[in-house]
Formats: sequence, C-alpha cells, structure tokens
Amino acid sequence: MTKLILSTSNIMNGGPSIIRRPASEKSNVELINALRSNFLASMQAFAPATKGFSSSNGAERKTISQDVPYSEWTAREDGSLFVPSIDFAQSGLAEERSQYDITVKLFFLPHTSATERCRHSQEAIDLVLRELHMPSIDLLIVSFPGVSFDADDEDEEEPQWSQDGEGEDLSAMVETWQALENLHGKGTVKQIGLSEFGSERLEKFLPRTNVRPSVDQINVRDCCVVPKSLILYAKQEKIELLTHNDCTNILPSGTVRELLGNGDKGAGVLAGPEEGSKGLKGELEPQWVVKYTAVVRDRGVIENKGYFAMAEVGD
Amino acid sequence: MTAFSNIQRDGVDMVSKYRKAVNDKRRFILLSRGRKLETRSSSRAFLHKWEVGRLLACGFVGMGLLTTYHFQADHQSLIRALGTPLDWPEAKKNADHVRQWGIEQLLAIWKRAKGKERDALRWGDEIEYLVVAFEEERRKVRLSLRQADILKALAEDEALSKQGGCVPDLQTIKSTGDAIPVFHPEFGRFMLEATPGKPWGIGFKDLLDVEPNMKWRRIIAKEHMESNEYPITLTTFPRLGTRDDFIAPYYPPSGERLRSQFLPDEIANPHIRFPTLAANIRSRRGRKVEINVPIFKDENTPVPFIDPTVDYDMHKWPEDDDVRNGAAKDNHIYMDAMAFGMGSCCLQITFQAKNITEGRKLYDQLSPLGPIMLALTAATPIYKGFLADTDVRWNQISRAVDDRTPEELGEAPVKHDRWRVPKSRYASNSTYISQDPRLRKEYMDPDLVVDEDLKQQLMNGGMDALLATHFAHLFIRDPIVIFAEDLKELDLNKTDHFENLQSTNWQHLRFKPPPHDKDTGWRVEFRPMEIQITDFENAAFCIFIVLITRAILSFDLNFYIPIPLTTANMETAHARNAVLDQKFHFRNDPLPPRPMKANGTSGTTTPAYQPSRPPTPTGPVEDEHSLMTIDEIINGQSGEGFPGLIPLVESYLNSVNIDVETRCELARYLDLIRKRASGQLWTGAKWIRHFVHSHQDYKADSVVSEGINYDLIKAVEDITKNEGKNRMGEEMLRSGWVDMPRGSACGA
Repeated sequence: MTKLILSTSNIMNGGPSIIRRPASEKSNVELINALRSNFLASMQAFAPATKGFSSSNGAERKTISQDVPYSEWTAREDGSLFVPSIDFAQSGLAEERSQYDITVKLFFLPHTSATERCRHSQEAIDLVLRELHMPSIDLLIVSFPGVSFDADDEDEEEPQWSQDGEGEDLSAMVETWQALENLHGKGTVKQIGLSEFGSERLEKFLPRTNVRPSVDQINVRDCCVVPKSLILYAKQEKIELLTHNDCTNILPSGTVRELLGNGDKGAGVLAGPEEGSKGLKGELEPQWVVKYTAVVRDRGVIENKGYFAMAEVGD
Repeated sequence: MTAFSNIQRDGVDMVSKYRKAVNDKRRFILLSRGRKLETRSSSRAFLHKWEVGRLLACGFVGMGLLTTYHFQADHQSLIRALGTPLDWPEAKKNADHVRQWGIEQLLAIWKRAKGKERDALRWGDEIEYLVVAFEEERRKVRLSLRQADILKALAEDEALSKQGGCVPDLQTIKSTGDAIPVFHPEFGRFMLEATPGKPWGIGFKDLLDVEPNMKWRRIIAKEHMESNEYPITLTTFPRLGTRDDFIAPYYPPSGERLRSQFLPDEIANPHIRFPTLAANIRSRRGRKVEINVPIFKDENTPVPFIDPTVDYDMHKWPEDDDVRNGAAKDNHIYMDAMAFGMGSCCLQITFQAKNITEGRKLYDQLSPLGPIMLALTAATPIYKGFLADTDVRWNQISRAVDDRTPEELGEAPVKHDRWRVPKSRYASNSTYISQDPRLRKEYMDPDLVVDEDLKQQLMNGGMDALLATHFAHLFIRDPIVIFAEDLKELDLNKTDHFENLQSTNWQHLRFKPPPHDKDTGWRVEFRPMEIQITDFENAAFCIFIVLITRAILSFDLNFYIPIPLTTANMETAHARNAVLDQKFHFRNDPLPPRPMKANGTSGTTTPAYQPSRPPTPTGPVEDEHSLMTIDEIINGQSGEGFPGLIPLVESYLNSVNIDVETRCELARYLDLIRKRASGQLWTGAKWIRHFVHSHQDYKADSVVSEGINYDLIKAVEDITKNEGKNRMGEEMLRSGWVDMPRGSACGA
C-alpha cells in the first residue's frame, strides 16, 4: 500500500485557481484546481525541453502526462509518494513567527477510524509546519465528515445529525479530539476548534473535552441566519463563531482518481484499467485534507495558503 | 428561529450608544485656542508644520491623518505665526527657490525612510460635510458660513472645560478605546471635515466600528450647531452661486480676492492661506478660473442654453472681462471661482503601507480603480441651480484650481513658460511608480511632463528613476502660497517646502512619504470617491476599498493598464449615468500566472521564502485590456472573463478568519456596492435627478428652484437619519437589507 501526499504549494501566487467562478460551483473547486495546476506545473518543469506547452490546451496536457512519467516529478520518502515532489527548502514564510496568524483546517474523510485520525492529525500538522518553516500554528480547526450545520434544523427537537446515516459517532469525535488536545498540550497548536457544530451537539460534546474548542466554524452561506440559540450558547461558552466556505465532502475518491488517473485530465499516477498500463494499482481511498493559511497579523495580507491531501492506494 | 440579522444592533441603537458615550464621557475635545500648542510646542515651526498640512489636501485634507492629532489653533495666533504671504508676482520669483528646497527636503525624507519596514496597516477615512441652515417659514435653505463658530463650539465644549479644559493625553485616549473624532476646517466656510480620532487597523471588528464612528461624528457636529443647522454629506450645494441669498449670513459677490461674479470672498475660509491660494491661482492663470459644465437638456430647456445667471455688464474688476471674452460657453453652466470646486465634499481614504515597496505597488494598482469608483459613487448632478449633464464633481474641481497659463494650456505658443502642461494640478494620475516587473513601459504616459533637472538631482541623491520621475513631474508646478519668513533658512528636518508642492498636486492617488514622527510609514491616499448621503454608504465604500487593497496584496493582483486609458476613463466617468451606460478600459486578467517551476535537477539558489518573480508580460498591450461595464468590473464577467472585484474580495474573506457577525455586516456593505454596480440600487446622482424630475415645481427646464432645493435638502437630511427605512431614498439603499446575499452553495 502506498501513501500519496498530494500538495498544492502556495496558491496565493498560483494563478486562477484562487477564484471560484461562477458562484454556483462547488466550493472544493479551489482545492481541485490548485492540485491540478500544481501537478501540471511540475510536469512541465520536468518535460523534455523541446516540447512547448500550453497549459490552456487540454490535448497537450494529455501529451505531457504521457511524456513525463510520474516517477520524474514525484518523490518517494518513507513509504510515501509526494505528488508532486516537494523541495521543502524552497517554501517557508518571509517573516518571523510572531508576525503571523496561522490557521489550519483538517478535514477528516469518511471511513477512517478515530485511531487513524489521531495519527492523521499529527501527520498533517507535521507537513504544514515543514512547509511553512514554523514551529507552531495558532488555530487548528477540525471538520468531521457528514457533520453539517443547518440553520433551519437548529432548535428542532431531534437534532438532525443523530439520525443521519453519514453522521458521526460522538464518542469517536471525542477520541479524535484527544489527539488535538495532545497537540495543544505540546504547544504545537495554540488553539483548537470545530466546524459545523450546532448548539445541541456542542452541549453534548463540551463536557467530554479537556481542552475546550475556542472556535466553531459555520458556513458563510448561513452566517446571517445563525440561530439565536447558537449565538447565545457560543457566547456563554466563550466559543467564537467564525465563517468558512468549505465543502464537508471536500475530496471524494472519484475526484482523486480522476486527478491522478491516466485519462485526459489525469496526472498519470494511477494505472488505467487496460493491460500493461503504467502507474499505481489498486483501490484508492482519500484519508484527509488539510488547508493552511498564514495571514500577516497586523496587515491582513494572506502570504501563504495551500493544501495537503493524503490518500492510500493499493490492496 | 430568530434570524441573526434581527438581533443586530440597528442604526438607531448605534447612534444612541454613541450619544450616550458622548454624554457620559464628554470627552470629545477638539483642541484649540492654542492651549495644546503651548504644551506641545510653542514654536512657529510647529505651527507651520500644521498649517502646511492643513492647507494642502483636496479639499485640504488628510495630511495629518495617521500621523498625529490635528490641532486647531486660534486664528489670530495662527495669522501672527504665519507671517506674510507673497502675492503672485513675488511668489513666482521665489518658485525655484521653494522647489529647490522642496527637493532637498524630499531627498532627506527619502534617505531617512526608504528602509522603513513592517509598518502595520493603519488607515483613516475623511468625511466632509456641508453645513446647511433651514428657514422653515420661508421654505429656504442656505449654506451656513459659521464654520469658525462651530469649530470653536466644538473646542470649547463646556463639559470639557470642566474636565480640565485640555486635551486628554494620548494615553488616556488609547486606553478608553473610542478616540475622540477630530474636526477640521475646510476651504469652504460652509464646510467641516471629520476624521476618526485614531486610525483604523485591519482587525475585522475595527471595520465594524467605522459606520458607528461616522454616525458619532455627525452627532457631535450637529450638537455644536444651531438647531436649524445640519451637517449634510452632499458633494455640492445645489444652488451655490445663484443670484439669491444662498448663504447665511449674506455677503454680496465680487470681492477683491476671488473676483467672482457669483460668490463673495467670504465664502472661503478667511484664513490667510485660503484667499491667497485662490488669488494667486487666478493671478498665475492671468484670468479667473473657468468652469463650464454641460447643461442637462430637458424638454423645456432653452436651445441654445445661455446661462441666465451670467452678468455680462459687470465692470468692477479687470477679470469681469472674462465673460465678455467668451469664458461662459453656450449650453453650459458657467462658474468662475475656486470655491465652486474646492467647496465640494469628497470621501477619501489613506492607507499606511508595510514599506515603500508596498506603498508604491498599492499606488499603481489602485490607480486604474479610480475612475470606476468615481462613477460608482456619482452624486453630483446639479450646479448653480441647474441640472448638469454630468454626474460627478471631479472635472469641476480640476478646473476650479487650474492655474495653467494660456501658454501652458496650449492656447498660445510657449514663450515665457517652460512647457505645455496637459493636465490641471487637480487631475488623474500621470505616473506609475512601482518597481514591478509587470509594469511595462507601454503603460507609461507618453505626455508626461518632467523637470529633468530636478529628476537628475533626485537621482544623484540615490533615488531610482521611476520615483524620481514621479516627483519631478509633481514639481513642474509652481508653489502657490509662499510665506516670506519661510525663505530665510532651509531646515532639512522639516517637510514644508516639499509639502507645498506635493499637496497642491491634487491627483486621484497621492503617494505620501512618512512625516518626521517615528510612528508613521509610507502612505497612499485614495481620493476619487464622491461623498455619499448616508454614513452607511460612506462606510461601505471605505471598507470596500480597504478590502480591495488586502485582496491586491494577498493575490498579487495586476490591474495595470496604460495611463492614458485611466485618463480617458476619468472623462467617461463624468457622463450622466456612466455607472450603467458607459464602458471603461480595464485589464482582462488581474490574476498572476502560475510561476514556472524550476526543474528540480537544475539547482537553485533562490532564498526560501521568495516567490519567483512574475515574468514581465509579453504580447500586445492592447490584448491585455478591453472595455467593460462597471457591473462587469465589480461583479465579474461570465466564463473566463474578468472575475470581478467583489468576487475577489469574497475570495479574500473566505481565506481569513472572520466571525459571523462581522461577515454578516460586511455582507451588507458589499451588497450595496454590488447592487450599485448592477443598477439594482441607484447612485446618489440618479436619485437626486429623480427627485428633481418628480417635484411638482419642476418645469422640465433643467432649473432646480429654491423650493425644489429646499425639499431636496430636507429629503437628504431625512435620508441621513433614516437611511431609507421610511422609504425616502430607498432606491439608493433599501434593497440592501431585504435580501441578504447567500454564499455559494457547497456541492449538493
């Protein structure tokens, strides 16, 4: 089994992937576009010099992925395959630690156990710290799959999530939370937070924590209709309600397969169905996605933003 | 379920909150009477520093903003301190002298501050008011000339005196949070300006304080006026310069300084600098300033329209010949004095940059946005009692301070003057100054006039050619107001001579070097926007611009277009309803190309954090930009076209941590901008026109009578207070509250 570490590098100077358009597009389009464009840029860097590339030309993209074997622009390290390869010496932030607010959001994906998620948390944070050349981050927010706050459901007697087949077991969340508390205890993370928790879920969750969440993130589309009950509860518990614009289902396996496959838009990392097709074989299962943002504190300038994603492939 | 918006404090609550604050603390003190001057510095030098600053901004604003508190001194002591202003022929003789010393001061500033780093974002807004006085019984409204009295009342507030009668020291203000707003005199004696007591930061909660603070300023101002007086934020008084008694107290026109046949000298701040400025501009020009605004032709407007208020038979001053020599054009509203322009109210914002590099970048990137924001804030459809065919104030101010001679204007061959000068001192920018690989030489203004000697002098002092060109361009102008006493000794620790030129170049952006205090960095002032009727709108536009600057810096946006296109856009922005009807040159793709990755095998020595520099673009410049509507520029084009300024700002907001309350409030502001651009909400100009057109007294002859004006100003005062909640003015405002914007949906 191979662990794939997908990365976008800094998307702030990464061209059009930063803007979602039209507005109705899925909000994971930033991640997908940024990954695709980073793969392409890496392939181009390793392409034979005689080839001229036009990134706007889909037909040529195919040519690239066929001409540049993935082994050229990816790298193996401790059983992981970095897609693309990363020269961590090239990344990092310009100023010292105190100048930044660094926020990291970790998206756990479906079908992963609490034990795995504890390990994932450490892995994800380690990568981010390595990328940013920083010893710690300010805020780590976690997103559990299937947990989605809905303003219209709040205040109803039976909370929606408990009946939702996709919904997560509270005990598993608490167990995962302990991993975050550990990171907090070590000083790697100054504050920890949640996303998409309604007041009922918070009420059940809070008593079972040692380090309380300081933040609860709510989707921006709901931000003007946040129920009073949640506002009051959050205020009382000193939890700051922040906005986000992320998908909970941020990286479906079909999407990863398309990104990495050897189809027209694929990067040629995964083998196709035909006999003798080059590339990695087997089931593909995305495990987590992490988004990091470094904002220069007193200037409000986003200096670095990017994603890592981990997927497992193999038997 | 209670909608979050319902438990938001509403405008009324905000006002009462601040009114309470005012009453509780009674600590809004505007310094004056020279008291603070004594404690801080009794030297003439200090007064000069203040004074130079006061004089010289768009309407004389903003110098001190982000530097320190403004001090207003008693007129007598100032006049004593100021010394003797030189009349024009004398001033002209000393122009080179002042320019020379100004350049030396500039080099001193530049050498001292070029390495200044890591300054925080601090920013400030400036709100300018007209003070109007109603006479209910006779249904009349006039401009009140009591600026000095009002400022004095603000300064002498009794409760304040009891508190010790002096300005609280800066620490006190900092520790109490809400710093006291600062009020300033303006060129027009019917104007007031108010700035926040301390600069804003980028904390998103700071952004939410802007609107309540603006409302607080208005309350304080009102509390120091007569009961029939109101501070209103219209760009211009619609009947300024008519034949009736539009000012209180009344003074007859045609004074020695302005020599205007419509306005008395008393319309201007009596402070010696202001009349000297007006008089010397007129003298340098060789005739009165000449402002012709095209008339809006309605059904019953006479054709041709010959301004009926012009008196062709005056013979008091030599300048009275101007109209007999054709100064007043057919089909135009004619005006003849600086106060017609500099009596306009603007909405200006100053930003502090991280360092000189960031300042230069912001200056360049904001420049193409100027005409767009001018058209989007359009609020000036009436001059001198007539509906104009233009919607904005800009060109009128430009002409009102145009001191160019006939030779400089190109009306006569250049014999005595140094060159032809294509633009007024008040005009759109003519330079780009950023050392940015994306800046192509094709973008520069081919008609730029530069004083090559001064440029060389700056370069000899170590300044790069790009920045030297900028300042050597500003320094083609003559200093207008010179005090004899200032010419005796050059003080390189002062900036007065530099500021004399810098601040009488009223371009739509101003690049401001740090003053001498240690706390202030390089700043950029964004100057094109028109003041809006309500504080809600004014806050919205300020905050929008602040967020745009953050998006520019975060996404490394590129708005470069050739400067002549921005100049052309500025003209386009004047057209009636330009916001919906006109198209503007704008860059198609503001986003940076993805930097090329180096082949991993080649090895590289780039420092870790340095992003690879974007390559200088290639390909025809004409392909980089196209004509777009304001709606397309603000809200975006479909498909692969221009993404839109609002979506760019939303993208920025989606990447930073913002609490739900702030995001919800910001959504109100962005929604206003969005809908002004799309036409769902009206500009002030459109609303004012509509008000006039639907008034029962309006005779479809372009005339805005005293009665219409009275009702209009009453309505404006109502809108200021109720912000459309009682339906008055809702076409400009209301729908912003009805349907809240929704963020894009997550994939289903």
